[in-house]
Amino acid sequence: MASGQLIFVSGGVRSGKSAYAETLVRQAKGARNVYIASGIARDTEMAERIARHRKDRAQDGWWTIEQPQQLSEALPLIRQNDAVLWDCITTWLANELYEGFEQGSLCADTPGCMELKWQELQNTIDSILAKTVYFAIVSNEVLDEPLVDQAYQEWLGKIHQWFASRADRAIEMENGLAIRRK
Amino acid sequence: MRIVFGGAFNGKRKYVKEHMNLDSNVWLEGELPELDEQAVIAGLEQWIRKQLEQQCPEQDILAAIRELAESAGERIWILTDISRGIVPIDPLEREWRDVTGRSYQYLFGKAQHITRIWYGIPQTIKGDGRDEYLHENRR
Repeated sequence: MASGQLIFVSGGVRSGKSAYAETLVRQAKGARNVYIASGIARDTEMAERIARHRKDRAQDGWWTIEQPQQLSEALPLIRQNDAVLWDCITTWLANELYEGFEQGSLCADTPGCMELKWQELQNTIDSILAKTVYFAIVSNEVLDEPLVDQAYQEWLGKIHQWFASRADRAIEMENGLAIRRK
Repeated sequence: MRIVFGGAFNGKRKYVKEHMNLDSNVWLEGELPELDEQAVIAGLEQWIRKQLEQQCPEQDILAAIRELAESAGERIWILTDISRGIVPIDPLEREWRDVTGRSYQYLFGKAQHITRIWYGIPQTIKGDGRDEYLHENRR
């Protein structure tokens, strides 16, 4: 039972949060460095970017798991004593909350749907922590502006508060500067 | 006069309830108290928005806030940051952010103590002097 450290890193767009989290995970000296990516390619530019990132990381010795939704599916792919990075909560939440868009029945509009996914996520985080030596989670700052999507922002705030309280370290990135808040 | 500041859904109200004391049970959401009344004032940005929707001019809004802040009575202001993100296209939305920002600047200048909340974690960003010694605020 490894029961690793949980690190929460949040910052604005291009704040250097992902690069910083990657450095932390590399320094943790896990059996492998595993990267869980939650982005979905919605156009060719995105697809190219995701492929490029994946290739760059492979050369850097990372194992990439593409997991846009249902983080629990990544669990069997994670081995004992891995060091894991998950990037990021904001894309995962969008993918989960707006699931069913094509069918016209959003998870966001279905009572209890997101609550279930959130409960499952918390369990998955605990299970990943039990296996890994180090688990860094990256997210984005989108709550310091007028509300554009109340359901999304309310969930994100709730999830961030949980991670900040659960984490061994919580870091806010400001233009490449890591401000340790916990 | 104390301020608790931070983004939406960051746990500001929870922090005030659990960690701050005020000799008053008055808790207002999107409303201002009477002059000299002790209270927790939450949702000031919603009050400002309501005034703007009723065509109340900016100077009257700022004057009302100033008059209240200068009156007797201890108050805790819970201020939600709406200053970031893309500049809105809608003129009212823009004006709302502008007036809210200018009100916050005034209140920040006036407050004795300001706590910023980041996902439930507090940071004192203003104590009681002109110079802020952030390194002394660590707890």
